[in-house]
Amino acid sequence: MQEMKKIILLFIFIPFLNASDSNVIALAQSLNLSAGSKAIVQWERVFKSKKKMKRYKINTLSPIEKIELEEYLIEHAIDSDQPTIAGV
Amino acid sequence: MKKYILFFFFSVAILHSNDTKNTEQTTIQDLVKEINILKKEVKTLKITQENNLNEIEEISDFTESIEANSLKDKINFSLGFKTNLDNFSKKYADGTKVQNSNIWSNKLMLNMKADISENMNFYGRLSMYKYWGSSIIHPYTYYDNMQGRVPSDSAMYIERAYINWFFNKGTYLPMALTIGRQPSSDGPSNQFKDNTSRKGTYSALLYDGAADGIVLTTNISKLIHNEKSYLRIGYSKGFGYSETAQDIGNAFVGASNNDIKDTNVVGIFLDTTVPNVKNTLVQISYSHMDDIVANPLENNSSRNTNIGSLDLYGAMFEATNFLNTHLDLFAQLGLSIAHPNGNSYANYGGLLSAPNDTSDKKAYSLWVGTRYGFGEKQKYKIGFEYNHGSKNWINLTQGSFDIYNKLATRGSAYETYLMYVINRHSNIRLGYVNINYDYTRSGWFVGESKKITSTMIGSDRVVENLQSIYLKMNVHF
Repeated sequence: MQEMKKIILLFIFIPFLNASDSNVIALAQSLNLSAGSKAIVQWERVFKSKKKMKRYKINTLSPIEKIELEEYLIEHAIDSDQPTIAGV
Repeated sequence: MKKYILFFFFSVAILHSNDTKNTEQTTIQDLVKEINILKKEVKTLKITQENNLNEIEEISDFTESIEANSLKDKINFSLGFKTNLDNFSKKYADGTKVQNSNIWSNKLMLNMKADISENMNFYGRLSMYKYWGSSIIHPYTYYDNMQGRVPSDSAMYIERAYINWFFNKGTYLPMALTIGRQPSSDGPSNQFKDNTSRKGTYSALLYDGAADGIVLTTNISKLIHNEKSYLRIGYSKGFGYSETAQDIGNAFVGASNNDIKDTNVVGIFLDTTVPNVKNTLVQISYSHMDDIVANPLENNSSRNTNIGSLDLYGAMFEATNFLNTHLDLFAQLGLSIAHPNGNSYANYGGLLSAPNDTSDKKAYSLWVGTRYGFGEKQKYKIGFEYNHGSKNWINLTQGSFDIYNKLATRGSAYETYLMYVINRHSNIRLGYVNINYDYTRSGWFVGESKKITSTMIGSDRVVENLQSIYLKMNVHF
């Protein structure tokens, strides 16, 4: 019974512990950033340059948001390893 | 007196007039000077602007040439390359052991992508998979679903070639038709071992191999208010039979064969995610294969036959980087129900059955696994997988990348590995596989599956245990 409670609690708190992809997508959209518009190295360059980050208003984000956004943009860059799935 | 007064006023007026004239002249001169300066500045600006325009035009010509070259590259290629070192040891049911070590192989995959239009794209994959020092064509290569999937000669096989045609874009129910040689191999959850993104559509426990077909994908994310949710309905030819003697077969348009029918496969698949949990996949599926051809390579129609049909059910869940713990998890369940029709192929028997046996053969398989990333930037990953298949378990994984078709096992298989991620595009993996077969004919449609016993000797000799220590390098770029 105790184990069952733990499992139920875990599933209740999952949404609070782990945000969905849609948050970071919305963040990218709010900054007018399209992951597919740049290659991996180009996004890496953006996040290394203060000037470029300012240009894309990335400098206004919190450190966690910056990390999540960088991960998302690199993962979905035009030359990134994309899933291969029928009809997607 | 009046005269003097008038003279005085007249003189003052003249003098004042001269002063004003002088001041005006000075102002005009200043203005002329300023105008001249401005003229010079405008001239300089004009020259600068002209230079800039020339430069912009030059840059524009240059960017246009880049754009033209990019547009000219209608197909973009990417690379997949695998090098494998396998060391097998087999133990037969009668107790004898065989070692087969130092087996090297390479697989080259040239992946293609073309954006034909806003609503259409093309994907393809050319594959060469061969053992080192050998270019003998493996007999299994002739099976359509195994082309480019089993080690053979150095020829490139077309493993994938399909068009995605998107329509209803931007509506409540966007749809896509996928037509051609489908992305039906290397599906989930094989990507954990390869350290890539998802490389196939369907659960690898149920399907792994090349397949020609047509699939309608409906994006139902908005309908069910859950991201990455897709409903797929698919049709495929399992085995198209061709009778070489007459050079016709019902795989050919307009031809027919009354004796042996093609194997047709229809299926329905639901992909979705766990709400509000990042990087998850849930897939539920059902597919039906009818008129299974006993041996698609057998051209003697008096010997070959259709042996029955198969229903295949699946349910799977996987989570990548679960709760940001760098832990990946998956669990998959398959259920197969074979319906033999009583026909037999040679002396082997019917569909998972002895001759004339028409009773249904139900079976299940379970596949679970985990992978954990550790070290700086999770450069090291350790993984473990376990699968168990019951008597009569059958799936469509004959084209699996591993040459022992682990997920078709009627018994239990364990696999563990340690991976080192060299960079974003490559990794090296050291692993160990141990397969204990409980029943015979794992992965085979034809013939009755029997409990493996030590009395199975001579021509009945079967492998009871298979182990492999392997080293694999995987590059994808």
